This record gives sequence, structure tokens and C-alpha cells, in this order.
Amino acid sequence: MASNIQFTGLNTSRVLPIPNPSSHFPSKMLQFASFRTANPSSVICSLTRDPSYVAPLEEHAKTSNGSVLLQRPDSFGRFGKFGGKYVPETLMHALTELEHAFHALSADEDFQRELAGILKDYVGRESPLYFAERLTEHYKRANGEGPHIYLKREDLNHTGAHKINNAVAQALLAKKLGKKRIIAETGAGQHGVATATVCARFGLECIIYMGAQDMERQALNVFRMRLLGAEVRAVHSGTATLKDATSEAIRDWVTNVETTHYILGSVAGPHPYPMMVREFHAVIGKETRKQALEKWGGKPDVLIACIGGGSNAMGLFHEFVDDKDVRLIGVEAAGFGVDSGKHAATLTKGEVGVLHGAMSYLLQDEEGQIVEPHSISAGLDYPGVGPEHSFLKDLGRAEYHSITDEEALEAFKRVSRLEGIIPALETSHALAYLEKICPTLPNGTKVVVNFSGRGDKDVQTAIKYLKV
Amino acid sequence: MAWCKLQGAIVSCHSRTRHELTDEKGASSRLLEVVQPVVTRETIKIMLPELTIAYVPSTQIVESKPLPIPTSDSGKFGRFGGKFVPETLVACLNQLELHFENALRDQLFQAELAVALRDYVGRETPLYHAERLSEYYKSMNNGKGPDIYLKREDLSHTGSHKMNNALAQSMIAKRMGCKSVVTATGSGQHGLATAAACAKLGLDCTVFMAAKDMQRQSSNVRLIKLLGAQVEKVEGGFKDAASEAFRYWVGDLERNYHLTGSAVGPHPCPAMVREFQSVIGKETRIQALEKWGGKPDVVVACVGTGSNALGLFHEFIDDRDVRLIGVEAGGMGLESGAHSSSLTTGEVGVYHGAITYLLQDQDGQVIQPHSIAAGMEYPGVGPELSFLKESGRAEFCVANDQEALHAYERLCKLEGIVPSLEAAHALAILDKLVPTLHNGSKVVVNCSGRGDKDAATVFNRGLFDEE
Repeated sequence: MASNIQFTGLNTSRVLPIPNPSSHFPSKMLQFASFRTANPSSVICSLTRDPSYVAPLEEHAKTSNGSVLLQRPDSFGRFGKFGGKYVPETLMHALTELEHAFHALSADEDFQRELAGILKDYVGRESPLYFAERLTEHYKRANGEGPHIYLKREDLNHTGAHKINNAVAQALLAKKLGKKRIIAETGAGQHGVATATVCARFGLECIIYMGAQDMERQALNVFRMRLLGAEVRAVHSGTATLKDATSEAIRDWVTNVETTHYILGSVAGPHPYPMMVREFHAVIGKETRKQALEKWGGKPDVLIACIGGGSNAMGLFHEFVDDKDVRLIGVEAAGFGVDSGKHAATLTKGEVGVLHGAMSYLLQDEEGQIVEPHSISAGLDYPGVGPEHSFLKDLGRAEYHSITDEEALEAFKRVSRLEGIIPALETSHALAYLEKICPTLPNGTKVVVNFSGRGDKDVQTAIKYLKV
Repeated sequence: MAWCKLQGAIVSCHSRTRHELTDEKGASSRLLEVVQPVVTRETIKIMLPELTIAYVPSTQIVESKPLPIPTSDSGKFGRFGGKFVPETLVACLNQLELHFENALRDQLFQAELAVALRDYVGRETPLYHAERLSEYYKSMNNGKGPDIYLKREDLSHTGSHKMNNALAQSMIAKRMGCKSVVTATGSGQHGLATAAACAKLGLDCTVFMAAKDMQRQSSNVRLIKLLGAQVEKVEGGFKDAASEAFRYWVGDLERNYHLTGSAVGPHPCPAMVREFQSVIGKETRIQALEKWGGKPDVVVACVGTGSNALGLFHEFIDDRDVRLIGVEAGGMGLESGAHSSSLTTGEVGVYHGAITYLLQDQDGQVIQPHSIAAGMEYPGVGPELSFLKESGRAEFCVANDQEALHAYERLCKLEGIVPSLEAAHALAILDKLVPTLHNGSKVVVNCSGRGDKDAATVFNRGLFDEE
């Protein structure tokens, strides 16, 4: 079809950057570029949901067992209309190089073996799937019926959260790419600490961008990052918080793209980050499937995870997206309430726009300016959300709800007292949702909550509010 | 009732033990005069001056006669250990021993414990090859040096090896029908582990902690309170907190269970703690076999009271080709007197119910020990370790505060692992140990805890200010 050939040319040029005579290209990419038929200076970009040349996007292709097969993302880096690569031209090459490296290393057995070894011996995987007996008892109804609650213990990982799965893999990837310098942004410091940790482990130079306001509130985390050998740079622009730190980090990357790899902490950002970060966290879901089979001979019925950027949720959900009998529930931060204007419930209250390189739901005002979100938990305090979550929401495959600060604090206290595990305030949001959903679940339903992090870092905040 | 007879047997053997000592040692019968049957502040604190001065350390290992009770362990490790407690407590300890023995033999209990250790605590903990740390030492010696492995007890739930014991003993407390658990803690790690285990099992928990420890490990205090446990402040140091916990326990023996955090105290406590911590060594053996097809050549652990060390060492005691090295806290230096090196500079005495090495002055008063690491600050040490020292099976050395701090920083920068200041002592000894080892030897260091709790201490020491 004529239009197909047209698209072919278009697709190829969208995947590869327009060659600039002064920039250096690996030779195989130049070869590929010669397939282009159109004049380099007159390439037209258009958003399209049509199948691409390289990999077809079949949103509802049925497989033999009737489950729906979703191709996520397509070769554009899109999940439906979300995602993409809205970045300055100087970064396009780096992103493509990253994507190629990622695909090459995914198939590389040595790399996979090395990564598996590090996840096992350094990070401490596999993390257990823990049957929360007292929590299950707590949710039993008067007649003794209720769901069975399991916790996927990402809090037991080295550094105390799921973040390290991605940090470790990206650091290893950067090393294979020959990059010696790593940059990252951080809000409360968790992702910064995880990045500083892996840089120390792999002997890489590490620079962390952090909003000046955040640095003041999290002095101990700043000290920790420095202890691990990282340089922490204060960002004073804007509101001096996470979104400004992210912008600064992107600016640094644009300037130093040849020597530097940017470890993005979540499934947000330009393609290939959402896909890469999801793949690196997908180990969570893979282990869960295996452990569920071992423990009760079946699959989970409901998966619950908190959503800030969405990485821990994608890590758990991804394995089960094609299993239509598994319910996927994401829980965002409602802060003071979704109608208060002080929250971070992007998928509930946001509108579609472009932030940090990707099209996704985000919290913006009428002029398209980013609204400063609020949540008691710093990790959920992000005005955007990963594009894949936006896609799953629109598709109706996953449900998204929100929990207020107060409800999260209650859950924090409840789980600490009932199970002796102190959850991170982020995780507490997912745990708080149990209050709402358990009464509706039939007897014996298997619920798996992603226990994404431990709460040691939140003790000061919690004590202040709970008056313990 | 069977246990009454048991009590009778124990009581008589108890005095028989004393009698034995008098006969074989030639120590004066003042021993019998001085030991008081009644518990008072004085009797717990006062040492036995005559005992220590008149007691000539023997190089001979005293073998106790086999005792007519269904335990494999008589409670003595050579001449160390024992059950030096008031008569009122002997019955309790016997009951505890019985429950302990039963639990060990009960398949159901063992299965439950194994599942809890796997799913709740996160075992098995990895044996991690610290490549960059090994490289660091190799680079100072022409590329030659040992391979250093870290046993990652820092990855356990609550961040230290303490959970292995706290969980198992809490399960025993529940079996015994106790409703409340009482314990003492130094660094807060054991208190934290106990509070977590009690929350999981639905038991009340009271933790005694010294005022100064509460201050320097305040993050742990907050965590303990969040878990629903009571924290009681005690003036003095960890040893005073331990004594208070003991006293609180005695106040209501029916309801309370005294959970020892470490391998000290009267029998069966040291044996129990060692048994539950021995999972560390067992896993290490299997992992060493998987990783390099052999055994470790050297195992190193820090020694405060001795639980993590015994947990690692116990498995390898009969393997004479495995060197066991314990590292005590040198505090501000041995000459300064402000340290906690009981095995290196202490003398033998009776403390908290057992014969062991301890730090005491000329009047037999217990010296207040010091270390930058709260968990190492104990004037005594586990009797089993005293035995291993005297029999020459294990070697003990000392690392001071400065060396520990440097080791702490080094591991952060080279491996991205933040060790506890306690574990940092074990790591500090590598500086002196590594040059003496041949190329390719396998060293396993017990990374007994994570150091998030110590970040504030390190911060305040100002050693890591920006230039």
C-alpha cells in the first residue's frame, strides 16, 4: 500500500535521529539510515496509532488461549498515544544508543548472568512473598471469611526499596556502554541513595541533583549519598524540588551526553526509559508468579501497588498484564484529598500533556504549567506518572484509586503493629487501600501487595503525626 | 511432675558443680559463702573478689561429669558458663531448657521457624564476593591477596542478625503461653528485632535500654516504639539495662519471657542463642561450597557479646583448617581504659549468671566499658567464646573506634554497603590480617548489620565533612 511505504520511511526516520554531518555515528546506523527515501530536512512527524514497520502494535490481538496480547511499547516508544520521545535533538542519539544497547544486552547471556548474580548476592533477591497472617485476620469478616493477604517484600532489598533493581541494572548497562559518569535526580533521596550505592559498587563517578528545599529536609540522606562517594548538587531554580532537579539533570545530560549516563528512577521520561525501567523491575512480577504457584498452586487474584512515577507497580503488574483474571490496582497519593488541590493523584485528577520527555497524564493548571503536587510521602510527590500507566488506565486494564495522607499514616501504624514490618509511607498508601477493597473480596481471594520499601526513613514524619 | 524431678536433679547438680570446683580447683570454699541465694541489687552487681584473685587460670579443660538430664549440653563450656543464679530462677531456667529442647525436636516448630526465617526475615542471606574491597587490598600487594566475602546479615529484616534469635525465641515464648516478652538492648538492634517478632506474634514487648544508648541510637528507639513496644530508660550502660530486664522478668515469671539477645547469661541462654544463630554458619558452608567448592580459610566476626560470632563460628569449630577470628572493641585504645575488650584484657569471673571473661577492676567491680559501637559495649562476653579462646581454637584481637570508622567509610565507598559500626570492627581487622594471608585464600567476614542507625554518629563525629 502506498501509504505503508510512506509510513515506512517515516518510521525509520523517527527511530533514528536525522544525521548531522558533524556528529559521529556507529557505521551500522548509517547503513540503516540509507533506507530513508525522504529528504532529511523535510521529514514530517505525526502522531499515529497505526502499526509501525518494525513491530506491529496490536492492542487487542487474541492469542489462542483467549488472553489479550498487548505490545507495549511500540517501536516509537508509545503506549497507545502515551509515551514517546519529546526531547531536544541532542539527546535523540543517546536515547537510541541506549535502546539498542538495552536490546542487545537483553539477549546477551553473559550480561544477564552477571546481572542475576548481582541481584542475588548484592541486592539479596529473590525477595520473599510473605503471608501476612495477622493482617489477614484483621480483615476477616464476622463470619470468618476474607481474602488472604501476601506481601511482596521489596523492603528486604539492599538499601530498603525496589529502586535498586533498576539502579543496579542501569549502572551495569552504563558500564558496558563505556560511560564513566552517572547522573540522577532525587526527591527525598531514596533514588539518590540507590544510585550512589550502585556507583560505589561499580566504581563510577556519581552526581546527584536534588532540589535545595529537599536537601534541607533530608540532610541525613544527603550525608548518606556523600558517604557513598557521590556528589550532591543543589538545584535552586523553580520551586527547588524534584521536578526542578529532574530538569537540571536532563540539562546536564544534554551537555555531557557522550560520557554520561542518566539513571532515571522511574518508568517516566522519554523512550526507552519507561520500557527499560519496567523490564529491570519486572523481576518482581516474575518471582511473584513463581512464588504464588509454589504457595497456593495458582495466580494472585488482585495485585496492589502504590504509584508515584509507577516503577514498583509496573514491576509487579507487567508479568500479569496479559492475564485478564488478575486485577491490577494502582494507588496514588490523595494528599489532603483529591478535591483539596493538594495531592498527587495524577491519574484521577490529571490531564494529558508532555512532561520530562513523555506524553502522559499530569497535574497542570489552565495555562499548562505544572502544578506543585503534595503528599506526605516524598516518593509519591510527582506531578506526572509513567506513560504505560496512563495507557493501562485508558484501556481499562488497570484501576487507579487514591489514598489520603491520613489514611496512609493509619496503615503505616497498623501494619507496623500487626506484622512488625514498618512500611515506607509510599507503600502505606497501597496498604491503606486494603481497608477499602477487602470487604468486597470473596473468601480466599489471594491479594498480593507490593511492599515496595521499608519505613525507617519515615520515622520522624510518622512520629510527628501519630504522636507515638 | 517430670520437671519437678528435673528441678531436683538440677538443684543437686548445681551444688555438685560448686562442689566440683572446690575439689578440683582447690579454690577456697569462700565460693559457697559468697554466692547469695537472694536476688538484690547488690548480689547482681557485686563480683566475687576472692574468686577472681584466688582463682588461678587453668590451662586444663575441666570435663564435667555427664548429668542425668535430657540435655546434650551441661551448660558448661569447659570451665566457663554454668547457671549462677538464685534458686528461685533455677526452676524457670529448667523449664526454659525443656521447652527449648522440645522445640528443637518438634518438626512442626522447625518447619514454622524455617518458613518464618525465609518469608519474614528474608533468609538465606547472600555470601557476597566483595570484589572492590578485595581489589583494594590486592592493589597494595602487587595484585596478590585473599578473596573477601561478606555474609550479608545486614539484609535481614530489621537490619541485623539479631532477628534469627529474636524470632525463634518469641515463638518459644508463645508456645510456653507467655503473654509478654522483656529484653534489654545495646545498639537497639536486638530490641528492634524483638519488638518486630512480638508484633508479628501478637505478644506484648518491653525493651530496656540505657539512656546514653537511647540517645545515640535514637532512630532505633523510634522504630521500636512504632512497632508497639514499650521502651524503658535505664541509667548507666547496657549492662545495667540487662540487669533491669532480668529484674523485671523476675517480677512476673508466669507472664513474662526474658529474651536474651546474646550468647551470655545462665544456661540455657548461651546455648539457645548460639543454636538459633548457627543458621549463619550453616548457610555459609553451603554457599562456600557452591561458590568455590571448598570451605572458608578464615572467618571473621565482631565480638560484643558474641552472638553473631558464634553464629558464624559454630559450624566450623570442628574444622581445624578454618581459622576463627573475633574482633573486640578497642574503644579509645587499650591503654586508655575506655574499651570493651573483655577477652583480650579481662579476667575470669561470674557475670549475669555465667563464668566468663569480664572487665573488672581490682575490687572486682565491673568496669563501664566504652566503644563507639553501642552493640559492642558489654563488659563480659559469651562463655562459649571464653572457652574457644582458652582452648586456643579461636583468636581474638582488637580494633579501636578510629579504625572502625575508617572501615565503615571504606566499605561505603568501595562496595556501596553501609555496615553497622559493630560490623565495621570486623572489617577494620582486615588491614592487619590481609598482609598475612596467602594469595587466593578465602576470607568470610560477617557483615552483621547495616549502618543506617550509625549515620548520625558518623555525621556528628565530623570525620566526613566536605573539604
